[in-house]
Amino acid sequence: MNTIKTYYKLLLTAFTLLSFFTANSQTQTVDLTGKWRFQTDVMDFRRGSLSPRYNHELQGEIQLPGITDDYQIGYKVPYKYIDRLTRKYEYLGPAWYQRDFEIPQAWKGKQIFIYFERTSWLSSIYVDTKEVSKNDYVSVPHNHNLTAFLKPGKTHRITVCIDNRFQYNTHKWDHAHTEFTQINWNGILGEMKMIAVDPVYIEDLQVYPNISEQSIDVKMDLANPTGKPISGSIKFNVAGKNYKLDKVMKVSGKDSLIHFEGKISLGKQIKLWDEFQPNLYTLSCKLSSDVEGARFEHEKTATFGMREVKQGKNHVLINNKPVHLRGNVENAVFPKTGYAPVKEDEWERIMQLMKKYGLNHLRFHSWCPPDAAFRMADKYGIYFQVEMPMWGRDAEPDEARYNFFRREMIAILKEYGNHPSFVLYCNGNEITGNFDFIEELTAKGRLRDNRHLFCGSTARTRVKSDQFYVSQQTNKGPVKVYEGLPYTNWDVSQQSDVDVPVISHESGQRAVYPNFEEIKKYANSPVEARNFEVFRELLEKNGMLDQANDFFKASGALTVVEYKAVVEALLRSGKSAGFQLLSINDFPGQGYASVGILDPFWDSKGLISPEKWREFCGPTVALLRYAKSAYFNDEVFQGDAELYNFSPSGLKNAKIKWLLKDESGKMIKQGGLKTQTLGTDGVFPMGKFTFDLKDIKKAEKLTVSVVVNDTIKNNWNIWVYPRNENLLTTTADVLYTTVFDDQAKQKLAAGGKVVLTPFPEQVQGRKSIFHNHFWNPIMFAWPPMTIGCLIHKEEPVFADFITANHTDWQWWDILNNAKVIEMKDAQQALRPFIQVIDANDKNEKLGIGFEALVGKGKLLVLAVDTKKDMDKRPATRQLLKSIDTYVKGDQFNPKVTVDERFIQSFMVKQFENKP
Amino acid sequence: MKKITYIILFLAFLSSKGFAQEIQFDKQASVDQGYLKSQESANLLPMNELNVETGYALYLAEINLSVENPMLSLENVRDYAVVFLDDKLQGTLADQHKQLALKAGPGKHKLQIYVENIGRITYGPEILDNSRGLFGSITLGKDEIEDWMITPIKIKNLEVSKLIFEQRKSSSLPCFFKAEVNLSQPSAYYLDISGWGMGEVWVNGTYVGAYWEEEKQQSIQIPSEALKAGQNEIVVFELKNLEQKNMKLSKQAVFR
Repeated sequence: MNTIKTYYKLLLTAFTLLSFFTANSQTQTVDLTGKWRFQTDVMDFRRGSLSPRYNHELQGEIQLPGITDDYQIGYKVPYKYIDRLTRKYEYLGPAWYQRDFEIPQAWKGKQIFIYFERTSWLSSIYVDTKEVSKNDYVSVPHNHNLTAFLKPGKTHRITVCIDNRFQYNTHKWDHAHTEFTQINWNGILGEMKMIAVDPVYIEDLQVYPNISEQSIDVKMDLANPTGKPISGSIKFNVAGKNYKLDKVMKVSGKDSLIHFEGKISLGKQIKLWDEFQPNLYTLSCKLSSDVEGARFEHEKTATFGMREVKQGKNHVLINNKPVHLRGNVENAVFPKTGYAPVKEDEWERIMQLMKKYGLNHLRFHSWCPPDAAFRMADKYGIYFQVEMPMWGRDAEPDEARYNFFRREMIAILKEYGNHPSFVLYCNGNEITGNFDFIEELTAKGRLRDNRHLFCGSTARTRVKSDQFYVSQQTNKGPVKVYEGLPYTNWDVSQQSDVDVPVISHESGQRAVYPNFEEIKKYANSPVEARNFEVFRELLEKNGMLDQANDFFKASGALTVVEYKAVVEALLRSGKSAGFQLLSINDFPGQGYASVGILDPFWDSKGLISPEKWREFCGPTVALLRYAKSAYFNDEVFQGDAELYNFSPSGLKNAKIKWLLKDESGKMIKQGGLKTQTLGTDGVFPMGKFTFDLKDIKKAEKLTVSVVVNDTIKNNWNIWVYPRNENLLTTTADVLYTTVFDDQAKQKLAAGGKVVLTPFPEQVQGRKSIFHNHFWNPIMFAWPPMTIGCLIHKEEPVFADFITANHTDWQWWDILNNAKVIEMKDAQQALRPFIQVIDANDKNEKLGIGFEALVGKGKLLVLAVDTKKDMDKRPATRQLLKSIDTYVKGDQFNPKVTVDERFIQSFMVKQFENKP
Repeated sequence: MKKITYIILFLAFLSSKGFAQEIQFDKQASVDQGYLKSQESANLLPMNELNVETGYALYLAEINLSVENPMLSLENVRDYAVVFLDDKLQGTLADQHKQLALKAGPGKHKLQIYVENIGRITYGPEILDNSRGLFGSITLGKDEIEDWMITPIKIKNLEVSKLIFEQRKSSSLPCFFKAEVNLSQPSAYYLDISGWGMGEVWVNGTYVGAYWEEEKQQSIQIPSEALKAGQNEIVVFELKNLEQKNMKLSKQAVFR
C-alpha cells in the first residue's frame, strides 16, 4: 500500500510539473492520459452506493484512453452471433475511473475544466465524495467545468463514472452506439485533459466565410464569470499557405457571456476551399482583457476554408458551382478498435481511399464522427453529411428524447461548424414519428447556421425546411439504384427533379459471398467473425469448403459488374444531386452485409483496382447509352456517348473516339466523334455512333471503349452471337426433352444421351435471378436468396460459350428464364457446371446446369426455358449451341452417377393419367 | 386612386407572386379501364401471388350481413386500403388501424377494397415477411369473409392517353379525372394537391408523381419541359377524395 501511495505521489508531482511545461500563455493544461484506478459496477445497485461517497480508493487499474474491451473487462461472450460480429467481452453499465490530483496553487482564480474528447454515453464527475457534473452528449466532447469544486493547492480525488447504457430511448441500431458496427463501448477516448484558463475566456468561436466579399465574419462568445465589466482587445491572426494577416479589434462588456462579432477582410490573395483545392486557413484569436486592474489572456484557434454552400435547383452548390456527390455511407464500421478512430492517421487513410476510388462525399449514417475525421476531410476535400444518433421511431413523442436531440444538434453545429468539410446536416436515418418535431429541428438548424444545408430525414417524409433530400424515392418515382440492367439507355433524372436537390439513398447493396480469410484479421480486435465460422462449417458440412474462395471471387466479380452499372446510371442522371453507395466497405451488422469491394477494415478484397474503379466513378467519366448487351451478328450496335463532367473545368476541343476490341485486345473497329468543347457541372452529349456486327462470324465477347482526349476512358462488354438456327435437334445419338418421361428413361437405360431442359415452372426450387442478393439474406429473406453463380468455364460444355467464371450481362436472358435446382441430395462429388451460390447462412449445393450418369446413360440437365422468346435470346441460343456440340461430341463423359429418383426429386410432381 | 387602379395593381401583384392558377377537372374515366386479369380465391391472396411487385389491386367479395354496422377487421394490410361498400366510401385501413365499422344494414352487399402497396418492409419485426396487399384473416364481426375476386390494376405504367373519358358526374369509386389548362408560356410549376386524398398524376401523358394527404408535402413539381404553350392535359388517379374538383398551379412548393 505504501508503495502505491508513493507511486501516486510521484506521479502527481510529475503532473504538477508537466502542467507548467505545457502552459500556453496563461492557459495551463494537464494531460490526463495514463493509468487510472478502475472498478466495474455491473449491478448498479444504487448510484453512489459505490465508493465515491466514502472517498474509497478503487482497487483495479486501467489505461486511458481506452475502452473496457481492451482489458477484457465484462462478460466473456460464449456465443456465435450470426447477424453481426461477436464482441469478445461485453460491458454494459456504469464503470468507475479514478485518480487523485493536486491542483496547482497557481490556478487560483482560474476556470478549471476536465475535458474528454469522446465517451459513451453519460459521464459524471465526482470530486472527492460529491457528484458535481454530468454530461450526456454522444457526438461531441464532454467538457466539465469544475471551477466551483476544485481548490488550488489541494489534492482532490476525481472519480469519473462512465455509463454506456442507453440514456434515452433511442434506436438500438443508431450507429453512434450500436453493437452492429462499432460496439457500444465503455471508456474514454482521444484527448483527456485538465485545463485551467483565465476567468475571461473564449467560450465559442465560429467563422463564417463570405466568398464574394473575401472576408470572414467572426462570431465569439466570451465567458466572463468575474461578474465585473471587462475591456480589452482580440488579436486575430489568419495564417495559411503563403498567407498571413493580423488584425486587432476592441472588445468590452459586462455580462457573464459577451457576444462579439467582427468582420475580417482577407484580400484578393485568399483562396477558396473545395474538393479540388482544399485550401485551409487557421484563425487564431488572442483575447486580452483587463478587469479592475487584473489582466487576463486566452487564446482559441479555428481552422476554416473559404467556402459557401447553397441549395441549387438540382445540385448542392459549393462556392456557387454545382457539385455532384459521389458518396459512400459510413456506418461507424471500425472492427479493429470497436470504436471510431479519434486520431488522424486512420481517417487520413480513409480520405485517401475515398479519393483513390473517385469519391468526394461521405454520409455518416445516424452518427457524427470525431473531429479528426473532419480535419482530414478538410485536408483532402471530402464533403460530409453528418447526423445525430436518430433512426426509425426516434421522432415519436418522448419529451426527454426530444430534448436530448435538441441539445445534441446544437452541440454538433457548434463543435464542428467551422469545418469546411461539414457541408450537409441531416437529423437521422429513415425517421418515423412526429414530423412537426423534425421540422422544428430542421428549421432551427437552418436559422442558426448557414454554413451547411439541412434536411429533416433520409428516405422518409419531406419537411418544409429541407434544403436537400436523400431518398430511395421522391413523389415523382424511385431514385434508388440498387442494381444494373443489361442496357444503359436509362437514368433517374426525371424522378430526381423536385423542389430540392435529391441524393440517391443507399445505392448498390449487392451481396458478396463472405471471404473466410478475413476471420484471422480479428485476432487483436474486440470483435470476432464467429458468424463466418458458422457459415464456413455449414459449407464444409455440405462438401463445398474447397469452393469458398471461388464463391467469394465469383460473387464479388458480379458485385463489381453491378456497381459499375449502378454508378453509371446515377452519373447519367443529370438532375440527380448525387448518390451514397452502401457501401464501398462491408457492413458487419444487420445480418452481416458483405456488400463492399473493401472489407470492414477498409482493405481491398482484390475484386477491382482503384484505377479500374475510377474509370466509371470520378469527377470526369465517359458514359455510353446502348440498348442491349447481347446481339445477333446480323444486328447493328448503336451507342450514344456522353461525358459526365464535374471537374473544375470544361474540355476545350475534346478529341473523342470509340474503339471496338475483341477479347484478346485486338482492335476490330474504331471511329471518331466530332471534336467539340464540352462543359463542366453536368452531363454532356458527345454524339452517336453505330457499327455493324456482320463481320463477327463466331460467338465473341467484345469491348466497346469511349476515349476522350486519350486520358478519360471507359469500357463496356458486349457479346455477339450467330443466329444458331437449328437447336435442340434430337438425333439417334442424343434425345432432347423437356420432360423426364419414359422415353428419356429408356434412352438412358439403353446407355444413350439425354439433354433435359425442363420448363422452369416444372422445376421445384427458387426462381433464378441475375442479381446477387440485396444487402444480405439474413436480414432480407426475400428472393433470390442466392449470391450469383460460379460458372465452371473450364468444362468442355462451355467450349463455344465465352464466359468468365462469374456471370456478366450476357447471362441475363439465361438466368432470368431459369430455375435453381436444389442438389443437396445428389452425391457431394457432383458439381453443377452452372453452380448457383446459395445464401451464406444455408450454403447448400444449387445449380441450373449439371451432367451425370444415370445408369449407363449420360444426362445433361439445364433448367432454363428453351421455348419462350427464343428469337430475342442470343446468349441462351449460344449456350444451347455449345451444349449441342458438346453432347454430340466425344467429350460428354459424366463422371458422377445419380439415380432417377434424384431427377424426379426436383421436378414438379405430375399426376399420371393411368386408367 | 381610382378603384380600377387598385384592381390593376392587385393583379400585377398577384402575377408577380405567381398567383396560383386553378385547374378544373371536368372529365372522368372509370378505374376498370386499368383492370388486369382477375383471380378467384377462397381466402385473401397477397399481391405477390398475383405477380404484382408493387402497385394497386382490387379485392372484391359479396357479403351477407345479419347485423347492422358490423366491424371489418383485417389481419394484414400492406400498405393502404380504401374500403367501399356498394360503391360508397366507408373509410381507410393501414397498418396502424386495421379495423373499420361498416355503415350498412342487414342483407347482401358488395365489398370492394382498393389496396396500394408501395414497397417492401425493410424495418421492424415484420422485416422477414415479404407479402404485399391484403393477406391473412379478414372478418366481419366473427365471420371470415370468403370467396374473393382479386384484380391487379395497372395504374403507374398506364398509357393515360388511351383512357376513355366522359363528362364528370358524381363518382363514388376510385377514378381518373382529367383537366385541361391553357398556358400562355410553359414554365416550372408546383401542382398543389391540397384537399385530394391519395393518387397519381400525369401531365400531357407523362407520369409526374404521386401524392397523399397525410404527407407534409402537398405539391408535385412539374418541370417546364412537361408543359407546352396552349392546351395542357392533366390526368389524376384518385383513390378516395372523389368529390374534389380543383387543383392549383403554384410557383412555390406547398407544405402543410
